[in-house]
Order: sequence, then C-alpha cells, then structure tokens
Amino acid sequence: MGTDFLSITLSLLEGFETTCTLFGLTLLFSLPLGLVIAFGSMSKFKPLSWLCRLVVWVIRGTPLMLQLFVVFYVPGMLFHVRIFSGEDGRFTAALVAFVINYACYFSEIYRGGIESIPKGQYEAAQVLGMSKWQTFRTVILMQVVKRILAPMSNEVITLVKDTSLARVIAVAEIFFVNEMDYLSRGLVWPLFYIGAFFLIFVGVLTLLFRFLEKKLSYYKI
Amino acid sequence: MKKLLAVLLSIVMIIGATLSFTSCGETDNSGDWAEIKERGYFVCGITVYAPMNYFNEDGDLVGFDTEFAEAVADYLGVEAKFQVIKWGSKYLELNSGSIDLIWNGFTYGAEDGVPRTNYVDFTHAYLKNEQCVVIRSEDAATLNAKAAFAGREAAVEGGSAGESVAKGLAGNEDKLAKFDSQAAALTELSAGQVDFAVIDLQMAKAMVGTGDYAGLTICTASDIVIEPEVYAIGARKGSDFTAKVNEAIEALYEDGVLQEIAKKYGLEYDLVEDLGK
Repeated sequence: MGTDFLSITLSLLEGFETTCTLFGLTLLFSLPLGLVIAFGSMSKFKPLSWLCRLVVWVIRGTPLMLQLFVVFYVPGMLFHVRIFSGEDGRFTAALVAFVINYACYFSEIYRGGIESIPKGQYEAAQVLGMSKWQTFRTVILMQVVKRILAPMSNEVITLVKDTSLARVIAVAEIFFVNEMDYLSRGLVWPLFYIGAFFLIFVGVLTLLFRFLEKKLSYYKI
Repeated sequence: MKKLLAVLLSIVMIIGATLSFTSCGETDNSGDWAEIKERGYFVCGITVYAPMNYFNEDGDLVGFDTEFAEAVADYLGVEAKFQVIKWGSKYLELNSGSIDLIWNGFTYGAEDGVPRTNYVDFTHAYLKNEQCVVIRSEDAATLNAKAAFAGREAAVEGGSAGESVAKGLAGNEDKLAKFDSQAAALTELSAGQVDFAVIDLQMAKAMVGTGDYAGLTICTASDIVIEPEVYAIGARKGSDFTAKVNEAIEALYEDGVLQEIAKKYGLEYDLVEDLGK
C-alpha cells in the first residue's frame, strides 16, 4: 500500500464514507426514536414513564464506549446468539448502539422543548374543539422545532465526532483505518489531515443549521 | 402504587437473576464445526504485520498465516475470512463468536503470568519464534549487554509475549509503554520516545531495518537469553473445531503444502518439526 498523498487520501476517504454513513443512519433512526421516548417519559401511564426515564438514565449514565462493547459482544458471550454476524455485523452493532444512545439524548431535548410551551395554548386549542393530536401537530410541533434547533445542532455536531468511537469494535471508520494502516507505521501527519475532514464536514453542518434557524425565525418579535 | 412498584421490582430481579445465571454457566462450544460448515466460512482474527498477515502492493492480504488459513479452509471445504481486530479484545472477540480463531502469530504460552490455555484451546504449534529486542542503530554500541537495559524505557504490545521479556530487561513495570500493536511499539522506538522494543523475531526479521523502520536494528547482545517459543492457533475453549483444524494441519504438513507456503516467506527452517506428532 502506498504512502503518497493521493493513495492516503483515497483510503482515508473510504474510511470517511463509513463515518458519514454511520452519522447519517444514526440521525435517521434516532430522531424519530427520540420522539417516541420523549412521549413515553411524559406519559400519564406511570410505569411507562418510569421505564423510559430509567432507560434514559442508564444510557446517558454509562459511556458510549461501554454500550458499544455490550451491544456487539454480550449477545454472543451470554446467550450464544450471533446477531451481528456477516460482513456488516460490526457496523450494524455500532449503529444500534449509536441510535439508542442518541435517541435518549434527543428525547430529553424534545421533552424540554415540548414542556416549554405554555399550558394556555393547549387550553385554547381545547376550547376551539381540537383533538390532542391536532393540537400537537398544528400548534405545538413547529414551535418546538424552532426552540430546540440550537441544542439539536450541538448534539448533531457532537455525533459527527463521536462516530470515531466505533473503532473500539473494529468498525473501519476513518480513525480505525488510519490507526491500522498509517499510525502503526509511524506516519503521523494523516492524523492531523483527518482533522480537516471533520472541520469541513462540521462547517457545512453549521451553515445548514444557520440557514434553518433563519428560515424558522418567522413570528419573532 | 405500591403494588406496581413491587411488580416492577420483581421484573427487574428476574431479569437480573437470569443474566447472572447464564453468565455463570460454562458455555458449550461443541457444535462449532457444524455451525461453521453450515455458514460456509470461518473468521480469523488478525492484526496486520509482515510476514504473517499483511497487504502487498496490490492491496491484497497475503502472508504466511493468511495462506496457511486459506489452505486449511480449502481442505475443510469452507472459506477463510479475515477480520482485523484490536489485539487487546481478542478473547472477547473469540468468545462472543465474532471471530472463530485467533490466528496471527499467536504465541503458545502465558500472558501476564496467566497461561493462555485458560482462555483458549490451542491447535498444534506450527512455527518457531523468539522474542527479540529491537533498538535504534545509533544505540548499538551502548546497548550491547543485558545490564545496559536496566532502567531503560521500553515499548511493547500490551498483552504480548514480549511484554514480560521487556519487564525483565528494564527491571520495572513502570518503564513499559504498552501499545495496541507491535508495529506501534516500533513506531514509538523510531520516534525516539523509548530506548528499546521487544517484538516477535519473525516480525523483526521482516520489518526492522527496512522502509519506515530503516533506523532500527535487532540487538545482538549475547548475554540476553530468551526462551524460544512457538506459534499456535487459538480456538474457543471446548470447541470441536480445534480437532478439525488439527486434522487439516496434519494433512497439509504430510502433503508438503505447508512447507511450500513457509518457503515462500522464508520460514522453512522455522516450521515445527514432526508437526502434530
């Protein structure tokens, strides 16, 4: 394997593709799952709300690295079932751990956003004869989206960089590729080169969120 | 309210009890071969280094262990797959079933004073090896006897056979810097962070003094005596796959296939004689 600039760039890009896929799929699944957990923990049915809060406590209270180990290794060790076998097994395991972890963080942001809407609005909607679901969909949701945009952008940017943790179960994301192929052979500069990949990616995300905030800034006095 | 709490608590306790029960029981691996045959392949856990498992110029995985594993797979009528793992997680990988064999110049012996047979079942030993001390070429004049190494800083692969050798030479565990791979230990040495590294002789012969490690040399101090050791393949404890692999190794040795592969990588004099006898 070559160690010239071009071939290193190409092989790092391959790792970065895995990083981006992990990032994209995690967002895709954890955003809706987070909403489900948020509704669960706000539920009037106490056991459900306790269960959701317990899950959030455990997931937020333990390191993501540990969760990756648990998801990938524990099913095979304790129950002798190989859930994550095959070529993409490691990636799927990492995805599951990331989705659960991020859904829990998102659920708390959602909950904060939803609970910040004044009670009066629900009462007004009720007076107008709107159902609960109607109220949420037409009155509450978009206000919540506006309010949580800033904390969400924070989490999303953290997620970009957290993907590098997937290397602990040997997922071939960009840092793992670098560690195995270059760092282990004494090449240090690719490590800093990787920093540029992330910087550009996060830069694009920052612009995107700024655009969204501007878009959603109607009704602001 | 209280009843609900009681129900919830009992559910938690039941889950907890089942978990602890299953974790206590000895796992049964005697059906490994049937499973491997069904899925049509076995997975070898490797780290990348010459001459065992490494990538050639075309980006293909080659090496003595690579071709050896492929030959064994051929004999057994299945396919060999290779998974790059973190060496420190090798037993976790093996026991969780994400790999089936630890096959990467795996020394038959002890790790941190604990025999590796506690964690794995070994197949026949197939290749002779030693640990070897690597230093920077410019230090060759000063680091020329065992005594010179006392109190020096060393780099090793964590959990490797070289770790205990380095500890013996430096005389103090605090002097050891432990890394993920043997290659990382060499990198540390060539970067000047430590005074010596202890790695496998087979790897040192292939990598030291060339390419990125041109400034390094193998220490030839005659009073450093290191016990010879052998490589074997690690399988899950109690697995019936071990016997199958042994059967394949014996057949390949008898037919001379193994000798051919060894010759290709310049290892023909290091093969264990009368393999499997």
